Amino acid sequence: MSPRPAALAALAAVTLALAVYPEFGSGYGVRSTLQVFMWIVLASSWNLISGLTGYVSFGHVAFFGAGAYTGAILIAKAGWPWGLAALAGGLGACVLALAIGYPCLRLKGPYFAIAMLGLNEVLRALVSYFEDLTGGGNGLSLPTLDATVPIYYVMGASALLVTLVTYVIITSRFGLRLMTIREDEVAAEAMGIDTARHKLYAFLLSAAGPGVAGALTARDQGYIEPISVFPLATTITMIVMVLFGGKGTVWGPVLGAVVLFVAQEIVWARYPYVHPLLFGVIIIAVVLLMPRGVLGLLQIRYRLPRTI
Amino acid sequence: MNVFVTPAMLGQVVISGILSGALYAMVALGLALIFGVMRIINVAHGPLLMLGAYATFFLYSALGINPYLTVPVSMLVLFAVGLLLERTLVFRVVDAPELSSLLLTFGISIALVNLAQLLFTSDLRSVEYLAGSWVVGPLALSKARVVAFTVASALTGLSFFFLQRTRLGKAIRATSQNREVAMVCGIDVQRIHLVTFGLSAGLAGAGGALIAVIVAIQPEMGQIWTFKSFLVIVLGGAGNYPGALLGGVLLGLIEQLASLFLTTQLSEVVAYVLLVLILLVRPQGLLGGRQT
Amino acid sequence: MTSKTLGALIAALAVLAAGISGEAQGPIRIGASLSLTGTYAKLGRNQHEGYKLCEKDLNAKGGLLGRKIEFVVYDDQSTPATAVRLYEKLITEDKVEGVMGPYSSPVTEASVNVTEKYKKVMVAPLAATTSIFKRPPDKKRHYVFMVISPAEVYLEGLIDTAAKRGLKTVAVVNEDTLFSKAAASGAVELAKKRGMQVVFQEAYPKGNTDFSALLTKVKSLNPDVIAAATYFDDAVALTRQMRELDVNPKAYGVTVGGDLPEFYDTLKTSADFIYGATQWEHVLPYPGNTEFFEAYKKEFGHEPSYHSAAGYAGCLVYTEAVKRAASLDADRVREQLFKLEMRTVFGEYKVDQDGFQVAHKMVTFQWQEGKKVVVWPDELAQGKPRFPTPPWNQR
Repeated sequence: MSPRPAALAALAAVTLALAVYPEFGSGYGVRSTLQVFMWIVLASSWNLISGLTGYVSFGHVAFFGAGAYTGAILIAKAGWPWGLAALAGGLGACVLALAIGYPCLRLKGPYFAIAMLGLNEVLRALVSYFEDLTGGGNGLSLPTLDATVPIYYVMGASALLVTLVTYVIITSRFGLRLMTIREDEVAAEAMGIDTARHKLYAFLLSAAGPGVAGALTARDQGYIEPISVFPLATTITMIVMVLFGGKGTVWGPVLGAVVLFVAQEIVWARYPYVHPLLFGVIIIAVVLLMPRGVLGLLQIRYRLPRTI
Repeated sequence: MNVFVTPAMLGQVVISGILSGALYAMVALGLALIFGVMRIINVAHGPLLMLGAYATFFLYSALGINPYLTVPVSMLVLFAVGLLLERTLVFRVVDAPELSSLLLTFGISIALVNLAQLLFTSDLRSVEYLAGSWVVGPLALSKARVVAFTVASALTGLSFFFLQRTRLGKAIRATSQNREVAMVCGIDVQRIHLVTFGLSAGLAGAGGALIAVIVAIQPEMGQIWTFKSFLVIVLGGAGNYPGALLGGVLLGLIEQLASLFLTTQLSEVVAYVLLVLILLVRPQGLLGGRQT
Repeated sequence: MTSKTLGALIAALAVLAAGISGEAQGPIRIGASLSLTGTYAKLGRNQHEGYKLCEKDLNAKGGLLGRKIEFVVYDDQSTPATAVRLYEKLITEDKVEGVMGPYSSPVTEASVNVTEKYKKVMVAPLAATTSIFKRPPDKKRHYVFMVISPAEVYLEGLIDTAAKRGLKTVAVVNEDTLFSKAAASGAVELAKKRGMQVVFQEAYPKGNTDFSALLTKVKSLNPDVIAAATYFDDAVALTRQMRELDVNPKAYGVTVGGDLPEFYDTLKTSADFIYGATQWEHVLPYPGNTEFFEAYKKEFGHEPSYHSAAGYAGCLVYTEAVKRAASLDADRVREQLFKLEMRTVFGEYKVDQDGFQVAHKMVTFQWQEGKKVVVWPDELAQGKPRFPTPPWNQR
């Protein structure tokens, strides 16, 4: 079932608007939109593993951090151009995913979540330790380069790509199999689905996006340090975005990313001293009141297609 | 920098490890109980400990009494907080997928930490009460840590007595083994959940009260305790309550020994690597717990 | 008269009135991103109060270039990434005319990339990391200026005092974060230059609370001096455990956190004899220091820390340069900042060609019976250090 022409036209219009935005947006506006793109990449990627297979990756920011450091080290120490470094970041994250996915995906439920959490901390500690390479607690400073606008485009393209990939997967057999694993893994095995292999593929795919986004962010900020690229809060935020928008849907993560980012900006601007508290309350509210997310609710109410 | 390690040094470090280990064990026991009975990973465990520390601090500042006398009070306060949290929020995610409970407790954790920041400010505080140590031969036993060890061990012992010998305790263990059968046997599972959460919070509060004399008190202090409690549970085996004891002491020893033979910086890495390794190689923990 | 004439008259009067009040252009807006929440909240707020007091004092004296100044401050939550966006916002959307620096080295390091991009002068009063200012020629920065002494000299007073009294061996411990590492490596350099031997150097992770193993190792080497590059929590824990394990150096110094009154409140007599380093003390003989101290206390209800004073001084330095340049143009102000030599409540200001602070002096104090007594450098000292530090069991 192909998407309706009106929806496609709307998408094209939005894409066009975003493409020309840097021409007349302020530096701050461009940077903020860039952040939204980054969140879309993160949220949608998380959705690929956790939304589709049900395996809750609680340390997903590890891939972001890994990509950030891979890219930053290549730029700062080996003089790579940032575009190439970003791809390397994505690749690095995938390698990491392969290394840990293979053993970890055998774990069930909460154990997988804790393992991912522990992994994130291991990475952060390791990065701090190997300071000759990573700068350790000092952080890593990149040569000054004003590339915000090109990065904006690349990040935007990444966001588009991840969304597209999600759409393709959800509408494919592969996606169907993943969701079968989510519903009942034992039955999936019994049906002949190679669950280990499928989970691993999903995991790899879910790591690439954050890896690239991490490297791009590192280049844009010009400086990274362990605590700023491996924070648990990033994982939580991307999870809440997906939950809010609708887990397991194509546009849920996008919706969640945009709405929550804007909401955070507003809350933070208006209530500077209580916004972290409000953030906690928002998380509680989303979990208790809308576990299916906006799109999930709409899907039920208005019989929207599964592939939205 | 190579330091020659003498037996006395080793002994000192082992003692330190055991002393902190008992504290880890007591705090982790609370987390283990919640996980065993309710299948919930309570990320807000650390912040509960933090509240216990603040409770002791304020009582000590206001009344000037021996801070160790405030331990029961902190426990009671946190017990009440735990009951409140369970009754209003946590009970809703008991049967939900673990993502919901993870996120909910995370949200609670952020809310508690920031509430503390607003109410108490991030001004650094500590309770100075028992300084110095008792010297036994070549070994120095930190007074504050020995007292913490003793009280923690006593509380842990009491908890086990409670779990093994009292009706309520047995009911808790029954629910943790098999909820459906427990219900069939007439156990009010809702009430069990409520009490367990309260108990767990009480243990966390006791931990906070005991370390208020040892470390600096500030709103973020609990986070690391949450991690360490996870580690202890993984080491000992989830759902295995005596395992929490072993896991706690083991963690304390590992940290100190790694710090002695490697560097203190690495001891952090060692702990986390251990977590991941154990999960991969022997997820049921060293004593064998139960998988979900 | 007709309504048209009346309207014109009113309009004319309005224009006249605006012209007379002299506020035709509005205040000079100075933007800053500060850590009002998050890890650095307490210190960031002190810095903010320093800025606010400077704004108040300056406006009371007639403002800057005939206009009042107004600070526009956002909260960066102690996160570099957020600060970067906020400086973009301040410069490109709020279109502030000047900027002042944020709190802490990591945040400053990230933010400088933005101010350099838009060629805005930034006086960064709370950045102590040398690498922000001293860069290889192809990565040089042009518009950022340092106010406080760098991290590397925090422990200089301790090392100097120890060396002068013939101590030979030093153990250095530090938290594994940017500032502490710099302070530690600076201490190691200084010790070696003075012919002392560094027998031990180890870092510990942030948040570490049990130093038993670390101190057991240190004790076995029996160093004369223990130099600890710390913040507050670790300084407290370290001191307590030194007492418990009976570690007795002849001189023991800490860095950040050791100067806070809470340090002594918490440790009580255990804190005596400890050397601390601070960028500023209100008892120092700098011009206007006492007035600043009193005014600050009155305005904000608590004593200023050196972060408050640095913020205050940084603002004074910037506005002085603007005054001398008679313009807000970045290149002219920058020229003045390079030439400027100024003495404020905070001490000396003078930078080299990299914007790196060369004149400001850190002071080392020692806790003596609950009082901070400045013992180094000699020209600012108010008392003699109690040396050597007696062993714990003799106190």
